[in-house]
Amino acid sequence: MDTIDASEHYELGTTEIAPSLLTVIIDTNPHAWATIEDALPFSKAVANILVFINAHLACNYANEVAVVASHLQKAAWLYPVSHHSQKPADRDGDVVMNGDSNGPQTSKYRSFRLIEEQVNRSLKDLLDSTSNDDFRSNTSTMLAGSLTLALSNINRRTIAWAEEHGGTKPDEVAGDGGGLATANGSAAVEDDRSLQSRILIVSVSGSSDSAHQYIPMMNSIFACQRLRIPIDVCKLSGDAVFLQQACDATKGVYMSLSEPRGFLQYLMMGFLPDQRSRRHLVLPTRIDVDFRAACFCHRRVVDIGFVCSICLSIFCEPPAGNECLTCGSPLDAGNLGGKTGSSSEKEEEEEEDPPSKWWFGGWDANVGACDSDSRALNIIILDLFNEGWNLH
Amino acid sequence: MADSDEEYVGDVTDDEDDLQVTRKDRVTTRKKKQRGGAEWELARTWETLVEGADGTISSTVEGLLEAGKRKRLLKDTTPLQRGIIRHLILALDLSQSMSEKDLRPTRYLLTLRYAQDFVREFFEQNPISQLGVIGLRDGLAIRVSDMSGNPTEHIEAIQSLRTHDPKGLPSLQNGLEMARGALFHTPSHGTREVLIIFGSLLSSDPGDIHQTINTLINDKVRVRIVGLAAQVAICRELCTKTNGGDETAYGVALHEQHFRDLMLDVTTPPASYSQKESASSLLMMGFPSRTVESSPSLCACHSKPSRGGYLCSRCGSKVCSLPAECPSCSLTLILSTHLARSYHHLFPLMNWVEVPWREAVRSKACFACGLPFPTGPPEDQAQTVENPTKGMSASSRYECTACQNHFCIDCDLFAHEVVHNCPGCQSKSIPSVNEVGNPDGMDITV
Amino acid sequence: MAASMSRPLEYLESLPGTTFKKLYQQPSTALAIFRRMLPDLAKCFVMAMLYLKDPLPTSDLEKWVRSDSKRQRDNALSILGRLHILSTTLTDNNVRACMVNDPFASSLRQALMGSDDAQSFGVLSQTSNESTITVADLDEYARRQWEGVLGYMVGTSGLGQRDINLSKGVKQLLQAGHLVEIRNHHVDITKDGFGFVLQDVNTQVWHILILYVESAQAIGMDSVEVLSFLFLLSSLELGQSYDKKGMTSVQLRTLTDLADFGIVYQESPDATRFYPTRLATTLTSDSNALSTPASGSLNGPGQPGIPGTGFIIIETNYRLYAYTSSPLQISLISLFTNLKYRFPNLVTGKITRMSVRRAIDKGITADQIISYLLTHAHPQLRKHNAGQATSSSSTMPISVLPPTVTDQIRLWQLERDRLKATPGFLFKDFSSLADYQTPCEYARDIGVLVWKSDRKRMFFVSRHEEVVAFLKSRS
Repeated sequence: MDTIDASEHYELGTTEIAPSLLTVIIDTNPHAWATIEDALPFSKAVANILVFINAHLACNYANEVAVVASHLQKAAWLYPVSHHSQKPADRDGDVVMNGDSNGPQTSKYRSFRLIEEQVNRSLKDLLDSTSNDDFRSNTSTMLAGSLTLALSNINRRTIAWAEEHGGTKPDEVAGDGGGLATANGSAAVEDDRSLQSRILIVSVSGSSDSAHQYIPMMNSIFACQRLRIPIDVCKLSGDAVFLQQACDATKGVYMSLSEPRGFLQYLMMGFLPDQRSRRHLVLPTRIDVDFRAACFCHRRVVDIGFVCSICLSIFCEPPAGNECLTCGSPLDAGNLGGKTGSSSEKEEEEEEDPPSKWWFGGWDANVGACDSDSRALNIIILDLFNEGWNLH
Repeated sequence: MADSDEEYVGDVTDDEDDLQVTRKDRVTTRKKKQRGGAEWELARTWETLVEGADGTISSTVEGLLEAGKRKRLLKDTTPLQRGIIRHLILALDLSQSMSEKDLRPTRYLLTLRYAQDFVREFFEQNPISQLGVIGLRDGLAIRVSDMSGNPTEHIEAIQSLRTHDPKGLPSLQNGLEMARGALFHTPSHGTREVLIIFGSLLSSDPGDIHQTINTLINDKVRVRIVGLAAQVAICRELCTKTNGGDETAYGVALHEQHFRDLMLDVTTPPASYSQKESASSLLMMGFPSRTVESSPSLCACHSKPSRGGYLCSRCGSKVCSLPAECPSCSLTLILSTHLARSYHHLFPLMNWVEVPWREAVRSKACFACGLPFPTGPPEDQAQTVENPTKGMSASSRYECTACQNHFCIDCDLFAHEVVHNCPGCQSKSIPSVNEVGNPDGMDITV
Repeated sequence: MAASMSRPLEYLESLPGTTFKKLYQQPSTALAIFRRMLPDLAKCFVMAMLYLKDPLPTSDLEKWVRSDSKRQRDNALSILGRLHILSTTLTDNNVRACMVNDPFASSLRQALMGSDDAQSFGVLSQTSNESTITVADLDEYARRQWEGVLGYMVGTSGLGQRDINLSKGVKQLLQAGHLVEIRNHHVDITKDGFGFVLQDVNTQVWHILILYVESAQAIGMDSVEVLSFLFLLSSLELGQSYDKKGMTSVQLRTLTDLADFGIVYQESPDATRFYPTRLATTLTSDSNALSTPASGSLNGPGQPGIPGTGFIIIETNYRLYAYTSSPLQISLISLFTNLKYRFPNLVTGKITRMSVRRAIDKGITADQIISYLLTHAHPQLRKHNAGQATSSSSTMPISVLPPTVTDQIRLWQLERDRLKATPGFLFKDFSSLADYQTPCEYARDIGVLVWKSDRKRMFFVSRHEEVVAFLKSRS
């Protein structure tokens, strides 16, 4: 018997399911990719990521995607590319697409193909524009910048989507939610009706590389936390302290791949489900999180630090002249927690030889090539998932 | 929703009203000083409207909206020393005057709701501060929640107040004495503050409140009050005296939104007056990592068996939750993410500047989100369309002076209010920033 | 999503397994079915297993899903099974495991990675575009044709607004689907028809297409071929022209028929290329994404092509304002509203007990009225109510329409609806309580349980195959 109950008329609302926006940040640091070239060459990794993006787009007609490269000297958009920075490529880009579409390319769903071409093209431009000087002078990657770019785009898309569909604006949600508010029932309903965004970082660089970006990184992480955007991290080599913290703070998925050859399967299983599906799934995430911080004076990653009580700056040793380097207030160094222990420093700056040749000279991410061997690794991958499941 | 014709232009006028009201506030406070507050305030909203070239006012209205957005941003961003370790007592009026319905649904319920928002926001802005909540009812001060650094505790305590009804008369003096007692033992490097939400127009006190004010001044406790009804002389005196003559510590809410603004203003860390008032010190802190063990072990703080926990970075004892002091070596243990929450106060993002048309040609789209900008007017008209409203860029472009990229208004807002990073500066390496060992090399520009 | 998805889903389920094998040969079909027919969780399962070489043990799958989401999991697996996408096998060491069936898996992989088969996603026309057809043109064409079809059903062509030449095929199709009846040369809309016209465009198109596929069989076309061609159409790009070369005669014939509905556009029946319209390209989107762009394009000449333009404002006092001048929309609204005034771009009226009863007498349900109002709600209405909900009470979810109105419409319907018939199957005479409970819970988990009585140990389900299989596997 049909009865009227209070909840009934809201069900119509929840059937309108919002699409999701996936932002992939690819760490293109050539120094780091060189170390895992044997297991997973860069071109293959990009091909795998493209298949993953296609899978994301396949899930919903209105799903969107954005790709940012976090490179040596800059962070850059790979997709979508705005007009001003890519004038020539974009203009003849359209023509080229119509022109060479008679090849085997037509066998591909058009929106998949457009993204692939655009990503490949802008990636090539990015690599071509990298001078040898950049290559030598930098070993790190602009992760904070790419996160900020990704967030700006998410903000823009969310506003645009809300205007089109009359949903809630992001700042209203953020004002309600606060960082400490746990997502309750109403928040979940609200989330269903605004654009769902998430960020995936494919990271290869080590944590010492990004220590100088500690504050901007943290700012971006808290922004994600406020906006309830999960940051997923797929770590192909090494381990990154701040990315662990990012996943922990935003309730994202953190996976450190022991076997990079199964990359695509990891992506498909661990990172494809969107926020709605994640409510029903047990996802492998990091339970032991490294909460070390970077000091302000030498940018070392420390687990014991000295904190200025005025401004909360972290130092790895009492600053010279007993004066805070950030806010300039004189510091009374008497209260050091009883004993003076020297800060232990775990991350040693490794001096690595730059790769002898420009390792990704001419490559082309051929998506079809990643088929066979990425399927052969399911045993290893399932073990990893089992591990994650058992921990819960 | 009685009449749809008015309803659907509502959005625009609402925003406009907000703009006017806040402007009026400023005018009011200024005028009060000059003429003793006996001036009728007139908001001449129509005077700010100018017809555009096409004879409509839509461009001006849009400009006002955009200027309103930006107004929030144009605040002082020089890095201030702020006493970020705060100790604050939130005192809520729970007397019968709170059952008034002039703020909807009632003063009482609205206060409780905003108090929860306040607690959240307070810990967001002041991550390692301490907070306590007391209530004023029946002439007594009652303890709602003890001083602690855990927001959920306070929120639960405030939520449990919902089931009670406001009753009796409030006593400011009792409340202040209890707050003073709670703040008495706090260390000297922190601030001592009291925030009172006061709905009544009277205070029923057992003794002389002026003596209490004097002891508060001696103990360096600052009191701020948000009134819900009308200005009360004793409240004003209390705030002025304990804040060293600063009158802005006392505010009376005009409407719901204003009430919320007044309350949330308090969450911003206050500037510390001088070096002497709060002796600064260097604290040694540990940033432990979370571990999960295969079999449960006892934690050092409660001696309870548990699998997860944090290991002290110096002695390796296990504690269950952070922030805490290590029970064996008394090192302060804290989550580094808690500290990092407040860093955007240390290195605030510089305000971006408006871009005039003659420089606007450099960019066609927002650097961060790729939104295309409007193209400039023809040369001969360029002068006339310059700067229609203050704080708003005629060319819809805003420039970060450090990286010289152009951004749209939405990204401007987003960067300053949410991310606190400049997308442009972060996206390219600036060599000087990367030099290791540069003493003030934290990128202050970002 | 549920309403618009269920019909094609039901149709597909009724097909025999061999048909699926043939259907899934096409990457575009696999992609469309994956995108359109599956719930979120099922998509995750398929994608997770797509690149696995060995079947995934069911126990692992169970571990992957949270224990409190068992219902959603069983529901997802049930749909995957019904669509012949997933099958369970026994591995060498006797572990139950499931895997994605082959024609589907390889087609979906092809869709994601590309293949050598040049046909699978259409061939772009090579001929140079002298007479370019813009997206706006296509939208206008689709709108005109589709409104023509609806107008024919509702009978607004009598208003003398326009003459759309509806082909005989279209009329026959509508008649065959029992959406209209012809009595003495007069077109009369049926109860089904009323329900049909109030649905959102996407559902309508699917409805028509399934009728078409069903009738195709009758006139000797291969329904599988027609169906996979439809899925191909849905994966084409709006605003691009495609070459007709290499198409089979069945496909060409389908194309001509679809042009009548405005689903594709061709300059003339024997042109060498065709354009898919928005109606086609959004077939496999979810209903939300579509309802905005396509209904925007169907709103009327006032604001063509602006995405997300709803036009109805409804107030808590049951007054309704519709900013439209389309005679079709006006006559639709008048089905359940007492219209009062009409202005050049606005009609106003009031929803009353009598007007809703009149609609219900015609076979329109309250849910249809509400979903129609919701789909066409004015952006201001959405914005306003969304804003109000966040400011007043954050614990209540947002509803776009005033809750008083939606509740009242339902109540008016309840005044009449005292009985509801559900076809299905009754299970009874269980020997023990345990025997009764387990299948009953299973039925609830896969979402087919309609009614149960613990005391009498009997329950009623809307479909029985899986419950029977479940019972068999237990005995």
